[in-house]
Amino acid sequence: MRGFLAGFGLELRIVRAAPDALMPLLTAPLFALVFLAIVRQSGRADLEADALLAPVLMTLWWVALQHAGHLITGDRWQALLEPVIATPTSLATILLGRIAALMGLGLLSFGEVLIVGKLVFGVGVPFEHPVEMALTLLATAFATAGTAIAFAAVFVMTRNAYTFTNSLSFPLYLLGGVFVPVAFLPGWIQPVSSGVFMSWSADLLRATVKRDGIGDFWSRLAMIVALGAASFLLGRLILFHVLARMRAKGELATV
Amino acid sequence: MSGLRHTLHVLALAARNGFLDYSVTFTWKTWLSGWYLRVLAQVVFFALMGRLLGSTEQVHYLLLGNAVMLAALGSLFAVAGTTWERRAGTLPLLVASPSSPVVVFVGRSTWALVDGFLSSLGALFVVAPLFDLGLPWPRALLIPLLVALVGASAYALGTFLGGLVLRAMSTRNVVANVAWTTILAIGGVNVPVDFYPRPVEWFAHALPLTHGLQAIRDLVGGAPLATLLPNVALELAVGTAWLALALLTFDRLAEGGRRDGSIEFGG
Repeated sequence: MRGFLAGFGLELRIVRAAPDALMPLLTAPLFALVFLAIVRQSGRADLEADALLAPVLMTLWWVALQHAGHLITGDRWQALLEPVIATPTSLATILLGRIAALMGLGLLSFGEVLIVGKLVFGVGVPFEHPVEMALTLLATAFATAGTAIAFAAVFVMTRNAYTFTNSLSFPLYLLGGVFVPVAFLPGWIQPVSSGVFMSWSADLLRATVKRDGIGDFWSRLAMIVALGAASFLLGRLILFHVLARMRAKGELATV
Repeated sequence: MSGLRHTLHVLALAARNGFLDYSVTFTWKTWLSGWYLRVLAQVVFFALMGRLLGSTEQVHYLLLGNAVMLAALGSLFAVAGTTWERRAGTLPLLVASPSSPVVVFVGRSTWALVDGFLSSLGALFVVAPLFDLGLPWPRALLIPLLVALVGASAYALGTFLGGLVLRAMSTRNVVANVAWTTILAIGGVNVPVDFYPRPVEWFAHALPLTHGLQAIRDLVGGAPLATLLPNVALELAVGTAWLALALLTFDRLAEGGRRDGSIEFGG
């Protein structure tokens, strides 16, 4: 637990020193404005809540890609990986703490879009199922963190991870149905979407703001957690092998 | 060497430098399988929003707006591109050289201009047929010209903003992202400019893309070519104004570090 908390505190200090990490919190309200303007102009008030929720999911994914995904690579560039691995605390625990801090920041976007929606368009998110909504957001943050560990492990093997991080945003927004439900995608791609945790998160989150009851809530929530856990385990496995290879070849630092 | 020839020579060398830098980030293969896939997904994402709204007109409006937006988005990478020189530690040498730094930096990020141009056209001509957006022939031949104008106009803004972030490099990505999402929000990409209150509309008219995109919408919509000219002229004027601002401020910002000793050889 101390390792987790140390990682959590460390990441908060890093974010405070580097405003880049706060970028998604600046763009989330702008995306909320874009989506709200589109649905408002089309007279689709029934989609206003969805327009506010989509930027929250986009922010979490962006944070996972752009920041959490680069944690190990960044440590490696700064020659921090060697001392961190030499400590008795496991690297995964520290990483988890750091990513939890980033996910916490990402979730702040929920408050932001609520404020922007209310101030600019006078609309909000109807809290029809508040407990289910909170649980879905937490499960999504967990799954995103798990996926971020997998990214961090994969990116450290690549020559230039930024090639991927700049390219993976909109493909996932599309596959994950963050705004437009997966049912609108071509039939052949829908099975791929069902393997993406975000598609479950987006569907469930949208269901929590509708007045109707939520069908199969627990099994859908469990699916998000399971997909996130699978990514986490895969990430740990890759990380184990990558670190073993870097240790053997003396490549823990690239400087 | 005459002044103009010298300037063009410096521009060409700087552009070559930038393309070499860019080729480290992307090869053709990684561009096509990574970035190009992203831009296709971006345009499809917004076009599908139109389908969700149940309106073919909206599908086409969003598709066209977001495809052209990619030209501006690509060009705004120039904001971050300008900081590469400082990170590489070569800014003091540029400031000390007889050439003006702004000439180097205008050339330095031309890769962003080309990237945005190819992304925009590559997305438009591939996604449009998927959503039955007709691009009438031979009028469609003018689309690349207008997209290039939009890209150039955004590039001028990117160069100006690049000068600003030279003094606060850690903000480069924040500035670039806020700039493009602002244009996305109010530049007529997703909803007409007059959807917003009048002061926001005025601000939108001072941004790159707004007028050029309207000209492209009119072109695709079959308007007489002569009616496009006012918007083309306005886009040109907006781009020229941002370029003038960049030329007026850039060298001062780049050389400001001489006074406070903040330009360094280390990145």
